[in-house]
Amino acid sequence: MRADPLETAKEAAVPALEMRGIGKRFPGVIALDGVDLALAPGKVHALMGENGAGKSTLIKILAGVYGKDTGTIRVGGRETEFRSPRDALRQGIKVVFQEIALISEFTVAENIFLEEYPRIAGGSIDWKRIRAEAAALFQRIGFDVDPAAKTGDLPVSQQQMVEIARALAHEARIVVMDEPTSSLTPKEVELLFVVIRRLTALGIAVVYVSHKLDEVFEIADEVTVLRDGRHISTKPIGAHTHDSLIHDMIGRRIDNLFPRVRRHSPGKAVLTVENLSTDAKLKGVSFEARAGEVLGFFGLMGAGRTELAKAIVGYDPIRSGTIRIDGTPLVPHDTRRAVGLGIGLLTEDRKTEGLMLELPVLQNMSLASLSAFAKAGFVDEGRERSAVQSFVDRFRVKTPGLGQAIKNLSGGNQQKVLLARWLMRGLKVIVVDEPTRGIDVGAKSEIFALIDQLAGEGLAVIMMTSEMPELLGLSDRIAVMAEGRITAVMPRDAATQEIILNAAIA
Amino acid sequence: MPQSPSLAASAPPPLFRLFVGRSEFALLVALLVIIAFFSLASGTFLTVRNMTNVLGQASLAMTAGIGVAIVFISGEVDVSVGSLVAAVAIPLVTIMNMTESLALGVAGALALGLVVGAVNGYLAAYAGINSLIVTLGTLFILRGGVYLYTGQTAIPDDAMLESFFQIGNGRILDVLPIPAAIAFVLLLVFAYVLRHRPFGRQVYAVGGSPEVARLAGYDVRRIKFTCFIISALLATVAGILLASRLGSAVHVAGLGFEFQVVAAVVLGGVSLSGGVGSLFGMALGVLILSFLSNGLGMLDLATEWQLVITGFIIIAAVGFDEVKRQRR
Repeated sequence: MRADPLETAKEAAVPALEMRGIGKRFPGVIALDGVDLALAPGKVHALMGENGAGKSTLIKILAGVYGKDTGTIRVGGRETEFRSPRDALRQGIKVVFQEIALISEFTVAENIFLEEYPRIAGGSIDWKRIRAEAAALFQRIGFDVDPAAKTGDLPVSQQQMVEIARALAHEARIVVMDEPTSSLTPKEVELLFVVIRRLTALGIAVVYVSHKLDEVFEIADEVTVLRDGRHISTKPIGAHTHDSLIHDMIGRRIDNLFPRVRRHSPGKAVLTVENLSTDAKLKGVSFEARAGEVLGFFGLMGAGRTELAKAIVGYDPIRSGTIRIDGTPLVPHDTRRAVGLGIGLLTEDRKTEGLMLELPVLQNMSLASLSAFAKAGFVDEGRERSAVQSFVDRFRVKTPGLGQAIKNLSGGNQQKVLLARWLMRGLKVIVVDEPTRGIDVGAKSEIFALIDQLAGEGLAVIMMTSEMPELLGLSDRIAVMAEGRITAVMPRDAATQEIILNAAIA
Repeated sequence: MPQSPSLAASAPPPLFRLFVGRSEFALLVALLVIIAFFSLASGTFLTVRNMTNVLGQASLAMTAGIGVAIVFISGEVDVSVGSLVAAVAIPLVTIMNMTESLALGVAGALALGLVVGAVNGYLAAYAGINSLIVTLGTLFILRGGVYLYTGQTAIPDDAMLESFFQIGNGRILDVLPIPAAIAFVLLLVFAYVLRHRPFGRQVYAVGGSPEVARLAGYDVRRIKFTCFIISALLATVAGILLASRLGSAVHVAGLGFEFQVVAAVVLGGVSLSGGVGSLFGMALGVLILSFLSNGLGMLDLATEWQLVITGFIIIAAVGFDEVKRQRR
């Protein structure tokens, strides 16, 4: 537990951790392709990259959540492997995920020693020692958290400190923080940085995963940039400028952009959002969407895209601001009214928020339009079937029949059914959130074609995406979000990856 | 130290808050109010005899309730105990009749309990079948099995062992019923385990957040499996005590017992979603329902009304907890 200065100096010669040629593939995707990472004791190493660059996969391998396919990992010079999170922790590596891994009903002190309770003779838990050691650990990191407090009652910033204390309790030499500031106030970020500096003073190597440039320039000693699962650069932070870092993060050639077929100018504004704020995330968002256009929203993780999508369709409550659909305000603010006015959401979370997995294609598609098929309170199944069949034909949904359970369809075909659910209803505005998530490459272009066709038919399409090629390929206009605000709006022709990413990082 | 950031005001809560915040305290108050009310309303309620009688009756639900509460805390459900208390009496009485040995009879009963617990635990924890379905299934299977085996009648205790009679009907110092003493000792032992043994904390962790527990390196399935075993063994103990009171293996013994236990467990503040609750809360829940039913009986209120009142109380108590939880 103690950081002997001499010991720390000796360790400085050997990297605390060295990853070489790390490769990891998932079905259909190469998540990591020969990535290197070397961590020096007592230094803060920032890990940067766009969404999907491979940061998460890399730290999950570090955490022992995923195994690696290829490459070597050395801890303190010795080759090793992490078989489980507990195993990684035993070898001195603690990953503090965004989703904090603590039992909210337990006290702070108990959570710190979850992996290994100190025992008294006879094997019972030594509560006195747990409380005393917890207090001592918080003193070492210089952050005062009440060890007797119920963890779930604490703000995220303090729960992070509990995780850090947990790392120290297990004598971790490496602490990885995954987007640690995403839900912190500026004041809390400052306090976190004080604690990070204390960790490095103890000789601990800190990996700081973030896409916030200002923070990285403030806290990091070195930066490694990943892109598309590959290692792009590792440099001392002093060797970087704002622009050079962004350049390393994008620099990707976007080839075979989706060919848009629409060749007409968009019509009038059908959705007008003014000064929209929510308790959750959004701060004064204003924009309009026009009939016949695809308005693409880009943002990095936590920028507020999904929150915006859910707010404008009446799903999440709003604090202030107005939403008008074709001039009519969305009041009361609920999904029933929203659907009535003609705005619907194609959710990013198809499995839990979109589909009724066990039910057939028929019911899944007609769900929002049942009243249209109803006669005297009973659904006219003939009309329902023929309407569903016509959409199945038009969208070329590949299914053995309308009675097929939707869970047996491919992701792309499920997405088509969900799109049809809304179109059957006759919408003016459709919000699509990450429309191609979990859909294979071939089906992607079909979904693109479908979205393009919808805009061509005069719908206003609002597309939330974290994928640059999708954004640039499909949008007529592009809005960029960062931290709950719109930071830039531009026509597609004026957009470049640099401009977009700059606005997203601001 | 350049600066010592502090966001937490770590002053200890005032004594008042310390108690009022705990649901056990509210239950204790409720119990005392009930006892006070019936003492005033009925002359025979607050007598040593009646009080100890109620304790004796409550001890069966309390014994089985310990196990059911532990399963609930682990995030699962066990409703099989109602039939299990009847089923274990069969090997108990049959073996005693053959061997004249209480110990062998008890061993036979425990063996059956162990098998049932292992089956429940395997199907729920390892095979991943919803535990309500699994234990509802074993509830029916065991009851059907008991009817088939006994031919819809009771198996009398022909051995007539004094020791067997005593465990269900005896009183320590002529006052405290032995079943109550057994329940109380088991309560203390398991409360200690839940609070002070790593296994006990792991049960709470697994119920509170299986994902976090897994990340911390716990064998979630094994822990849940063990909880089902504990529950079945404790129900077996309750079944042995019941058989002793009834003096035979009765085929209809324990009908509806599972709901009595579940009602007391949830009334005691044990969450159906896991990770929350205490055995003392459960014990208070059992006592509240027992004294309530005893007191209402003394007021000559029909059983029908007792059921209706009990139902309202359970919904009100759990609903109150839920409202409190959502406020936060």
